[in-house]
Amino acid sequence: MTKKKLSLLSLALVMMLSVVLAGCGDKKENNASSGKEQNAVQNDGTIDVSKLDPVTLKLYLIGPNQKDLPKVQEEINKYVTEKINAKDDITMIDWGDYSQRIQVITSSGDDYDIAFTSSWAFDYLPNAAKGAFMPLNDLLDQYGKGIKEVLDPRFLEGTKVNGVNYGIPANKELAQQYVWRFNKKYVDKYNLDISNVTTLKDLEPLLKTIKENESSDITPLAVPKSFKPYLPVDFLLGDEIPIGMYLDTDDFKFINLLETPELKDALGTIRSYYKAGYLREDVATLDGIDNMKTGKWLVDREITQPYAELGWSRSAGYDIITRPMHDPVIYTSSAAGSMLAISSYSKNPERAMMFLNLLNTDVYLRNLIQYGMEDVHYKKLEEPYIEDLPAMQDSYAMPGFALGNMFLTYLHDGEPKDKWDAFEKFNSSATVAPTFGFNFDTAPVKTEVASVTNVAKEFIPSLYTGSVDPDEYLPKAIQKFKDAGIDKVIAEAQKQFDAWKAEQK
Amino acid sequence: MSAFFKKVIRNRALLVMILPGTIWFLIFAYLPMFGTVLAFKDFRISRDGFFASVINSEWVGFKNFEYLFSTNDAYIITRNTILYNLFFIFLGLIIAVTFAIMLSELVNKKMAKVYQTGMFLPHFLSWVIISYFAFTFLSMDKGTLNQIITFFGGDKISWYSEPKYWPFILVLVGIWKGVGYNSVVYLASLTGIDKSYYEAAVIDGATKWKQIRYITIPLLKPLMIILTILAIGGIFRSDFGLFYQLPKDSGALYPVTNVIDTFVYRGLINMGDIGMSTAAGLYQSLVGLVLILLANYIVRKIERDHAIF
Amino acid sequence: MPQATTQPAEQLGAGRKKKKRDYNAISPFWNAVFNVLIGLFTFSCVFPFIFVIIISLTDEQTLALNGFSMFPSKISTQAYEYIFKSGGELLSSFGVTLLVTVLGTVLSLTLVTTYAYALSRRSFEFRGFFSFLAFFTMLFSGGMVPGYIVMTQFLHLQNTIWSLIFPLSMNAFFIIVMRTFFQTTIPEEIIESAKIDGAGEFLTFARIVLPVSLPGIATIGLFSSLGYWNDWFNALLYYNSPKVTPPMQFLLMKIEKNMDFLIQNAQNIGSAVDFAATIPQETVRMAMVVLATTPIVLAYPFFQRYFVQGLTVGSVKG
Repeated sequence: MTKKKLSLLSLALVMMLSVVLAGCGDKKENNASSGKEQNAVQNDGTIDVSKLDPVTLKLYLIGPNQKDLPKVQEEINKYVTEKINAKDDITMIDWGDYSQRIQVITSSGDDYDIAFTSSWAFDYLPNAAKGAFMPLNDLLDQYGKGIKEVLDPRFLEGTKVNGVNYGIPANKELAQQYVWRFNKKYVDKYNLDISNVTTLKDLEPLLKTIKENESSDITPLAVPKSFKPYLPVDFLLGDEIPIGMYLDTDDFKFINLLETPELKDALGTIRSYYKAGYLREDVATLDGIDNMKTGKWLVDREITQPYAELGWSRSAGYDIITRPMHDPVIYTSSAAGSMLAISSYSKNPERAMMFLNLLNTDVYLRNLIQYGMEDVHYKKLEEPYIEDLPAMQDSYAMPGFALGNMFLTYLHDGEPKDKWDAFEKFNSSATVAPTFGFNFDTAPVKTEVASVTNVAKEFIPSLYTGSVDPDEYLPKAIQKFKDAGIDKVIAEAQKQFDAWKAEQK
Repeated sequence: MSAFFKKVIRNRALLVMILPGTIWFLIFAYLPMFGTVLAFKDFRISRDGFFASVINSEWVGFKNFEYLFSTNDAYIITRNTILYNLFFIFLGLIIAVTFAIMLSELVNKKMAKVYQTGMFLPHFLSWVIISYFAFTFLSMDKGTLNQIITFFGGDKISWYSEPKYWPFILVLVGIWKGVGYNSVVYLASLTGIDKSYYEAAVIDGATKWKQIRYITIPLLKPLMIILTILAIGGIFRSDFGLFYQLPKDSGALYPVTNVIDTFVYRGLINMGDIGMSTAAGLYQSLVGLVLILLANYIVRKIERDHAIF
Repeated sequence: MPQATTQPAEQLGAGRKKKKRDYNAISPFWNAVFNVLIGLFTFSCVFPFIFVIIISLTDEQTLALNGFSMFPSKISTQAYEYIFKSGGELLSSFGVTLLVTVLGTVLSLTLVTTYAYALSRRSFEFRGFFSFLAFFTMLFSGGMVPGYIVMTQFLHLQNTIWSLIFPLSMNAFFIIVMRTFFQTTIPEEIIESAKIDGAGEFLTFARIVLPVSLPGIATIGLFSSLGYWNDWFNALLYYNSPKVTPPMQFLLMKIEKNMDFLIQNAQNIGSAVDFAATIPQETVRMAMVVLATTPIVLAYPFFQRYFVQGLTVGSVKG
């Protein structure tokens, strides 16, 4: 046989096998019995369990696997069977593996029911656009009434993609606010006045004092390479990509932030700080910084939430105080910080929604899934306080923010009783960003977005941390972003935004 | 067709032998190969499973490949990928063979064994760990190298933002990590060489150098050629960790550290676009195929026996 | 060529003096040079490993304050205590790695040697086709998702050790090396003469070819076992049940990837306060590296002995 014939033969073989395989993969029945589910919902909104067939819901959640999960799951199942005649099969996928693994699982057509999604892991937007999730609006109306009652409506508003909801955001802090965190030790030692500090420029005298009076191993401005000077803008694709719209915009135009006077000014300031030695010399390559652990720092930058100082001080072991850089703002991305979505492969979307409804309204279930079993993993103190037992840290430490309504969860000793009220106040006091609710579909410009992302990784950390001279590198960066097609991305975003805006009226 | 069957019967023993491997190839290599079509599709998920998704996704031609060539960086990443790999292939070959020969000639065989074990160690360290280690040398304020430089009155060097040093650092570390592994391959083949060749050579009065030149190297040549041709096929792929972790993903170093793999990773990590990543893989495979065939063709012209195909 | 005559004479003389000395050994001068060169290089290879051991024994607080140091001011075995305390998993994952490595290497050697042997036989009339079948796979791969589908939906092997064994048990590279080895070390005539003696193909292969090919088999075995030992990616894809113990390298990689991920996304996760504690400490990671690497470092000399034995057998018979 000649080589040509052989390769043809093997090609044919591949085709044949693919067909066989395709046959195997397709054997999937779709016998969703939504009729029964519909009947089970009674007029007062409660569910008549006797009308439901037993089902098992498959969940993929983010976070390290916990030793006691099977035990707790059994407990959850008892309760959920009682409520909606369903069982849970929970799989935890660790932080660093989550996006990649769930991406493969989803693409392969695995018929799971519920998965964690967000703006930072298993990215909500592109996957919703790709069709990974089930549209939830009708399901919400029928089986998720509780969710609509407890959730700040802006959560659902902000996570719509083309008018459709694909995920249930967790009720937590909705607004985003950056603060300067100060190490109180040094603030007190030099009697520094931080009451007037808001901008990067305001820090100058404080940083100078520390630099001049303390030894060189104290970092005055302790930030890693992800540091960004605060800009009053609404970012289109996260703060790494310099495209945004002014928060107080009148004309609703996306702009290239590198060309704004605010940024140029801020870069000049940070450059002077870098040269003065206020930052770590290697800040541009510093992934993380362990200032909290060492305590050798004056100020850094962090996102806050109500009573965050308490938590920070407690985990650091010394006092930390903060000054806000701006008023809290609600962005589209902050609404999508933690969500649970129903897979479009789910065979029981109705029951999945009922379960999500429970997670957002049922105090017992919500605390069970996060804190485990009473007297095994925690001890109940006076309502609503609990005390962790050693078993919690060892074998059931779940990431609470990724498991539905946080406002239902118990508090720990030392936390103020009005913690969740304060969250609600924080959320309602916040202003809403101009593009809130607008979700940019990157598909038409994905080539450009990928290229722009690459350029951003090359220039943004070194520019924004002052590691390079902005006079030389800013023009270079602007040119490179233009070559990568940033203008095309801006134009496409503007086009989509204008269409969206017109629809809103 | 009966001629074909006769042939099958004639070769039945060897066919039975080759069967298990063939089954493996069919299931684990050929079955998944249909996924390659994704490179030409805009992958959208449809409710009826993966195959329905593949079939229902729209054909987009070469759109998924555009990203690879859309910017001026296309030239830089291609150049970097090829140049670094050429260094690794040829410098790595020379060093590995040299070490293998030196190891085999050492008088104290016990020491040779110790060396061999030691040289192997870097193979087990992940790039993350090696990048920590490199950092202790190159760190701006605490790094050993800067301490030495300042001791002799020089100025500190900001290693992670000076591109000019990195081609050297990358080649050095890349070869360092792989050379122990490769020497063992050559050493295994080397010790398999029939001792009587050397005995004859000694009787003929050949020096050690002559023996190496006229016996050892020619006998190692087939292996060297095979490994080199195969390495050339992988010239469009690079060791991701070396180019990503070691320079600590420092933007200032991109002109000299950006290779196809890091470029694809940085651009696509957040998007999770199967189509575009398949396209990138296909592009690398195709260029690899062309290069393998080319290298094989050249070898064939020069020395027919040593060609792979 | 004056040198040519003097050196062997010298060596012969040396050989008479010292019984052990090989008459064809290199001169003491070059021996010293080689020793220094390789010794230095070996040191550069071993040094980082020692360094990792030292870091794993450094006190965590000292590490945060002073950074990595060869001579830490405070030593602590806390990292190891931590690992062994939470350690049931580590030990059993070590067992999994070992099992996968052994089973995988055996399977891999079986598949590779049989396939390569058939390809090496000039009398095999389907050589062209099967060579092509093997080499073609070096060039195209379907990617992660199709591979995942074959394993999970077609073979249903997820969460079994076979999902860690099968993907790595063959590759064209092994086959090429092995085929070349067979071709260069075993003359076709030997096989033909065996045939005349009445031995079948299988018998020839088992009795004559394999024993002579031990060096080649040892090489492939080494490659293959290293591949299995270091593999974590298949566990990432196929191990998704809390009930199965993952291999050791996967645990290690997971810790590394989690660190990176949490550091990069700390800002995105608004309620970051409650999970900062789950980031493992630097020293613990280093201790894991030490524990994951030490066994194979200790096992390597045994490999080598086998290597050498294999080689002697090869040279006696060949």
